[in-house]
Amino acid sequence: MSLSYILIALIAMFGHSEDFLGTTLLSRPLVLGPLVGLVLGDPEQGVIIGATLELIFMGNIKVGAAIPPDVITGGVLGTAFAIISGKGPAIALAIAVPVSILAEMLISSLFVFRAVINKKFNQYADEGDFNGIQRLHILSGIIRPILMGIIILLALQLGATVMKDFLALIPAWVQTGLQVAGNMLPALGFALLMNLMFNKTVAPYFFLGFMLAAYLKLPVIAIGGLGIIIALIVTQVTPKTDDDDDDDFSESKEEAKPLKKLNNKDIRNVFLRSMALEANFNFETWQNTGYAFSIIPVLKRLYTTKEAMAAALKRHLQLFNTSPYGSTLILGITAAMEEQNSNDPGFDAESISTVKLGLMGPLAGVFDSLFWGTFKVIAAGVGTSLAIKGNIMGPVLFLLIFNVPHLVLRYNLTFIGYRAGTKFLQNLAKNNVMDRLTKGASILGLMVVGAMPATLMSIRTPISIGSDKSEITIQSVLDQVVPAIIPLGLTFLVYYFVKNGAKTTHLLLGLLALGFIGSMIHLFA
Amino acid sequence: MIKLTRIDDRLVHGQVAFTWTPALGVNCLLIANDKVAKDEFLKMALGLAKPAGTKLLIKSLADAAAFLNDEKSRNLKILLIINSVKDAYALVNEVSEIKSVNFGGIRLKDGAKLISKAVAIDDEDITLVRELLDKGIELELRQVPTDTKQMVGSLI
Repeated sequence: MSLSYILIALIAMFGHSEDFLGTTLLSRPLVLGPLVGLVLGDPEQGVIIGATLELIFMGNIKVGAAIPPDVITGGVLGTAFAIISGKGPAIALAIAVPVSILAEMLISSLFVFRAVINKKFNQYADEGDFNGIQRLHILSGIIRPILMGIIILLALQLGATVMKDFLALIPAWVQTGLQVAGNMLPALGFALLMNLMFNKTVAPYFFLGFMLAAYLKLPVIAIGGLGIIIALIVTQVTPKTDDDDDDDFSESKEEAKPLKKLNNKDIRNVFLRSMALEANFNFETWQNTGYAFSIIPVLKRLYTTKEAMAAALKRHLQLFNTSPYGSTLILGITAAMEEQNSNDPGFDAESISTVKLGLMGPLAGVFDSLFWGTFKVIAAGVGTSLAIKGNIMGPVLFLLIFNVPHLVLRYNLTFIGYRAGTKFLQNLAKNNVMDRLTKGASILGLMVVGAMPATLMSIRTPISIGSDKSEITIQSVLDQVVPAIIPLGLTFLVYYFVKNGAKTTHLLLGLLALGFIGSMIHLFA
Repeated sequence: MIKLTRIDDRLVHGQVAFTWTPALGVNCLLIANDKVAKDEFLKMALGLAKPAGTKLLIKSLADAAAFLNDEKSRNLKILLIINSVKDAYALVNEVSEIKSVNFGGIRLKDGAKLISKAVAIDDEDITLVRELLDKGIELELRQVPTDTKQMVGSLI
């Protein structure tokens, strides 16, 4: 068994551990591809393949309880086989797509198993055994990376030679066809993103992004920067609003004079543990054990009797599901309520559950839109546009653009939730901040999406007219008048089908066929 | 005009704000729920999740039915959200425009059974589902718009 296979399996395990690591996009092909490339001695190829796969799986997002194809297993195996066989991104894609769909089925069956161990969690809660809950949460979460690691190791060990021989048989014209088809697939990702973000009111921002990229050739990072400025002007958000909020809620906790008090370390622990919120995600009770796991430092500080601990654990093992990115706000708010509950015998503990259940849906709406609709889009736009040329800064910026705002916000929301409680939210609601924030975020996101067809899809036509001497290629004419019109047209075509309810798999196959046939009849290159 | 009637016990959340609203092109989210209509805290929280450029209305079942039957609501593109099969049943009986109900998310409770990843119904719900099917109402199950429609009738 070769060392590199073991290392690749470890990379896949790392990707599958994302639910322990704060859902920080570590599992994306753009991050894992370069790592696989590094192990196999060709980091640059890894970066390029990672970017290619990222583009295709771009519209593939995790919202609520919907589980997308497993891009980790598909991406890692696709990248590995492509580099081992020396065949490049087109082959990576041909492997990654079917493998990710197969692997998703396998993971779905894991979720069934998780439903079974839910009973055990409740037993521990009855006994007030928070250690048992912590252990089981980690144990159940760790099964997935271990299982998938073994599968990938086996696939590499048993499949590498066969795959290499098989891939060597692929004739050049098939490979060219695959490559053109692969260049077309991002249209599906863009169309899926547009389906979430595009409408008549914000359409101008999409075309602004497109024109800045197509005519002025601005890099995505510059378009993102312009987008921020335009969003700020349009929504007139001034950074001052933060201060106003502070004044209102600072006095909120003074008069209670609590006997038991949580300290900053406890709250920081809640933030750190919230990284594992989704480790034991299941379809019966969703993130409930992750929530209990996160709040245990608080409960340990506040409750000394077995009865009180058991009651609190049961409270937090109730069904829960929200966006991991904003989860700490609710955790902070409930930490403050638990503190009050432990000091005031007249406190209605039921109200803790009411607040949790009341906030989880709406806040998921806010934070999912913000992170999946804006930060992820910008991160992927900037990251892939650099990585597709083999620039290692692509994956680095991808992670930074998403996670710097994510982690700063997630950390601070824990403390804001604890100190200000629901007053913070009431202030937000009063000042109409959210409306401006979502509007600004959608403008920014859409400008970057508009830039994508022009920057990230290289579909051209080799058709030429005229005789040998005065031959003019259609593409050169297009480039002067409407550059990137083919990628844009293709994106809108797919968007039209998505809008009219076409199935994603059908569109995927359709695009593959179009690219393949288009390449054979020399319509596209 | 009602673009979609959805049963979702989290009411407005990521899937609704971020996938259904843009995919359907609606400009009004109407939450019909007797409890929420009286709860200022929940109303505040739901207000935060309102997607940009849409109107959020929170009404009791009776008020929602009256609103939907009023001519004035014809000009709005509405995503109607209720949180239970029971409320869906009540509205179908009051509002003739509802010909199809989307089952989005109903959490598991005692006595209920999961019929898909995100939808659990109990015996009482099944009785109502059968009655709705007899009336010729389409009952389909999708979490997000890009999911393939599953028919609830074939899952019970």
